[in-house]
Amino acid sequence: MIYVENLSKEFCIYKRQPGILGSLKGIFKRDIEIKKAIENISFNINKGEMVGYIGANGAGKSTTIKIMTGILTPTSGKCQVNGITPYENRTANAQHIGVVFGQRTQLWWDLPLSETFTILKKIYNIPEDQYNTRMEFLSEVLDLDSFIKYPVRTLSLGQRMRADLASALIHNPKVLFLDEPTIGLDIVVKEKIRKAIKFINQEYETTIILTTHDLQDIEELCDRIIIIDSGKKVYDGNIKNIKKDYGYITTIEATFSNKNDLSLSNLSFGFKLDSQDLNLNIEDNKIIIRFNNKKVAVSQIIACLINEVQIKDLHIYEMGIEDIIKNMYKAGELNA
Amino acid sequence: MKRYLSLYKTFLAQYLKILMEYRIDFLIGLIGFGIIQLSGIAFLYLIFAEIPNLNGWSFEQIVFIYGFAQIPRGLDHLITDNLWILSKSIIVKGQFDRYLLRPINPLFHLVSEVIQFDAFGELLVGIALVIWSMIKLKITVSFLQILLFILTIISGAVIYTSIKLLFASLSFWIKNSHEILWMNYSLSDFSKYPLSIYSKPIRTIITYIIPFGFTAFIPASYFLNKGNLYTCVFGTFAAAILSFIIAYTIWLNGIKAYESSGS
Repeated sequence: MIYVENLSKEFCIYKRQPGILGSLKGIFKRDIEIKKAIENISFNINKGEMVGYIGANGAGKSTTIKIMTGILTPTSGKCQVNGITPYENRTANAQHIGVVFGQRTQLWWDLPLSETFTILKKIYNIPEDQYNTRMEFLSEVLDLDSFIKYPVRTLSLGQRMRADLASALIHNPKVLFLDEPTIGLDIVVKEKIRKAIKFINQEYETTIILTTHDLQDIEELCDRIIIIDSGKKVYDGNIKNIKKDYGYITTIEATFSNKNDLSLSNLSFGFKLDSQDLNLNIEDNKIIIRFNNKKVAVSQIIACLINEVQIKDLHIYEMGIEDIIKNMYKAGELNA
Repeated sequence: MKRYLSLYKTFLAQYLKILMEYRIDFLIGLIGFGIIQLSGIAFLYLIFAEIPNLNGWSFEQIVFIYGFAQIPRGLDHLITDNLWILSKSIIVKGQFDRYLLRPINPLFHLVSEVIQFDAFGELLVGIALVIWSMIKLKITVSFLQILLFILTIISGAVIYTSIKLLFASLSFWIKNSHEILWMNYSLSDFSKYPLSIYSKPIRTIITYIIPFGFTAFIPASYFLNKGNLYTCVFGTFAAAILSFIIAYTIWLNGIKAYESSGS
């Protein structure tokens, strides 16, 4: 369905000197720096697959998505979506894809939401009966009915994101691109959106490519992930192992009330682990514990902690994508 | 074509709904534009109260040219006013993305989002002045000449659009071309008066480089019997086609060079 080969995109960046004098100088002479946003990226995605496309900020995720949707023209390499080269045959490509940019709405800002769908029906040339069934389906899955009459600018972020997702799906696209679809949303809405995405993928065999910072999105939705870092593809494969193999450090942050004679030695828990697998830090009345969850269970750590201190507040963090990538480098899985 | 017409109708209807959301703004805009138009005519009247004839052109003839100039300008203003936002901010903010994500021509999409009703000021004043001066000058026109008149008006509007499109498209590379566009658009003021009153460099510029001369003076002189059919009418038509081809090519290359923005 999607075929990407040796794709690269370079941007020219003009560096300016600081200050007014510097910017005046910049009128006559500018230093040009060529930045490679992505470099020699290749992958294939089959029909009906749901693929997580992940990487740190600035890794080149959005650039790749923008090439696949026809917004950007690559510097070199090939890209085909459903047999069409997106940046050469933009309108034909647009008919078959749906795009959601979490950061930027594509709805008609000043009009009631329902009008957006009326316009899109015209733009995509959707026959009346198909439009009606589709609309019914989307209202049900994304629960649009409660706010479809309101102007888009009055919608909450969660409502808007659901509306954006619906508007990207109204023409039954073969491929759906989601660029951070759950950014800034609360857990309940996130859950709703994930459910809808999953359902659409199963029901219509829509191919879905998803970029996100939320590991949970990826875990719940995707079987396959592609990781890019600094513009290069560093991993392409199954998600299950990744987390087990590289995402094993859990962080517990606890605030406690009895501050008196707490010392690190009291808290070594007797697990006999080296500092790689268990690491403690105390700042004022906060304790931060990083540990390898393959060797110690979260419950064990908390049990010990409760014995020692009176906990006021407790947070548990899983590893972020950035750290997982770092770990992969460390393990020699990736070639730096 | 049929599909685009029906799409245009949809966009127009939606735009009207948006205008009604902000109707005070709309009304003030309309009034303001009317005032600008009236002051333009008053200015013309004041000048000619002192000088009854200018370089061999009578007052009525000048009014004809002045009125003629308003019509293509107004037509372009009515339909393609949204090109201005291309020169200002949407490229640098990456908001141009959305025009590339729909299965319709992006230029059509951009332009059809806004219909600038202020332009009716120019159109009405222009038509009124042309009719008034034709009566005064006792110009009679044949049916063919009416067709030629419409052809030159549309060609003139296309020249306006092309010049705007060309300079607005520069912002794909230089990010903000608003000042450049404004400077060049202002050259159109020269076309409201007979070109023969200007020095040679100015005449050359607005005939061959930024061809605003073809939006008013050149075609208008044919209808005043001061120019021949080939240069004035077909020349205008050719200038329109050539300008549009150049501008559209630059626009297409601009899209290829579009860099969006980080999100």
